[in-house]
Amino acid sequence: MDRLIYTSLTAMRGSMARQTAVANNLANAQTIGFRSEITRAQAAWLDGQGMDTRAYGVEAVIGADMRAGTVTATGRDLDIALQGDALLAVQAPDGSAAYTRRGDLQLSPSGLLATADGHPVQGQQGPITLPPADAITIESDGRILIVPPGGDASQPQEVDRLRLGTSTGADIVKGLDGLFRVRGDGVLPDDPDARLIARSLEGSNVNPTAAMVEMIEASKAWDTQLKLISSARDLDNASASLMQLPS
Amino acid sequence: MTFGALHVARTGLDAQNFRMQVIANNLANVNTTGFKRDRASFQTLGYQLMTQPGAAASAENRYATGLNLGTGVRLAGTARIDTQGTISTTGSALDLAIDGAGFFQVQLPDGRTGYTRAGNFSRSADGTMVTGDGKPLEPAIQIPDDATNVSIAADGTVSVSIAGQAQATEAGRIELARFTNPAGLLAVGDNMLVETAASGAPQVGPAGQEGRGVLRAGMLEGSNVNVVEELVDMIETQRAYEVNSKMIKAADEMMTNATQTL
Repeated sequence: MDRLIYTSLTAMRGSMARQTAVANNLANAQTIGFRSEITRAQAAWLDGQGMDTRAYGVEAVIGADMRAGTVTATGRDLDIALQGDALLAVQAPDGSAAYTRRGDLQLSPSGLLATADGHPVQGQQGPITLPPADAITIESDGRILIVPPGGDASQPQEVDRLRLGTSTGADIVKGLDGLFRVRGDGVLPDDPDARLIARSLEGSNVNPTAAMVEMIEASKAWDTQLKLISSARDLDNASASLMQLPS
Repeated sequence: MTFGALHVARTGLDAQNFRMQVIANNLANVNTTGFKRDRASFQTLGYQLMTQPGAAASAENRYATGLNLGTGVRLAGTARIDTQGTISTTGSALDLAIDGAGFFQVQLPDGRTGYTRAGNFSRSADGTMVTGDGKPLEPAIQIPDDATNVSIAADGTVSVSIAGQAQATEAGRIELARFTNPAGLLAVGDNMLVETAASGAPQVGPAGQEGRGVLRAGMLEGSNVNVVEELVDMIETQRAYEVNSKMIKAADEMMTNATQTL
């Protein structure tokens, strides 16, 4: 029996994995700051004697699409939308430096500023703790200004500046926790030119139309491989009937 | 038989379903005094590492990239958006709106203190100031039976005029509570919020001091729900629900095809 079906099987596994990745992108079409994932198939050649006809398909997530998502004004003081290729530095649960595009910040009871998924935001000297304030404003260059209780609203004080990095030119990978990291435990230098839009949020950059097309593509790839498997069966049947003794 | 895409798309449907519920609740409370709208916030679920980048593909070769498949989305929580609602004049002396941060303190039937932005107070049978559904304000404000006029100043001082007396007398002072993280307060229904570990301890004091807002008597704060915004969110949610159900259909068709062909 031909090994055709096993080659087809790897491609089927690949399209299944691709479909899962597309489903994950679609499911996160409304997640704040989500970056859609790109999957690609690549050929893995089997070297050996005879014909080099066996190239198994290997599906891989090659990275995240870093295009910007849609920005909507929300009016909430602690919502920020990062502009261009800026990334917000946060602390990952294991203490390492990580980056995110998620801008719906929240205050903990102790005043610690964190993203809505619970990662403390980094300032110039580590995590930012805000004192009680009448008003909090985040400026477009990341400076956090507060009006102390009973203070003069026209003269806000600077508490800290958000640490912003730039992803362009850096070797950034998306980790299993959805945070971005510099490959090899590096840190992005603080970029004073990075800008953000205050009182707005950047949505996910998943393009539902493109994702649906990918979904159809993956379905069709699956169907094609199934066709191949069924032709392999027909071929087998045909040769088996040739070999049959006339009864 | 499990098929990743099916389950991932299901998490998407679940999440959109929750979001729709949040939007429905916001819309239902569009005319509730002091209501603050909620916003559903989503978070990615964990990732499955199918192939580690750099893992050995064969004796000589290594995978250049990995295969990390996401497992979907979940509702991380709802965030209350504490922007000011519209303040409108009602003319009733005991209607109070907080202009700025802070909450009224109300004694709940179970002895806890409830916090609310709804300032539609009235007098109970024994003369104390109570909320619309009869919960007493804290600290208690007693308005004498023979009071002819009640006025509440911006700092919370309640003055009453008594028939036959030229001078107004002070009946008490309304105090406001403010929190480090008001979004962490837990909503318990009936316009009431209660303190949690996430909100921090209340900082109680007179209105207009230490960051607390000032009181506006004869006015009420409406909800901060913006109907147009909610309707746009609703359409967005509907479409997201649709694409996720399309995904389920596609995954189902792939499986059907496989079972029929093989």
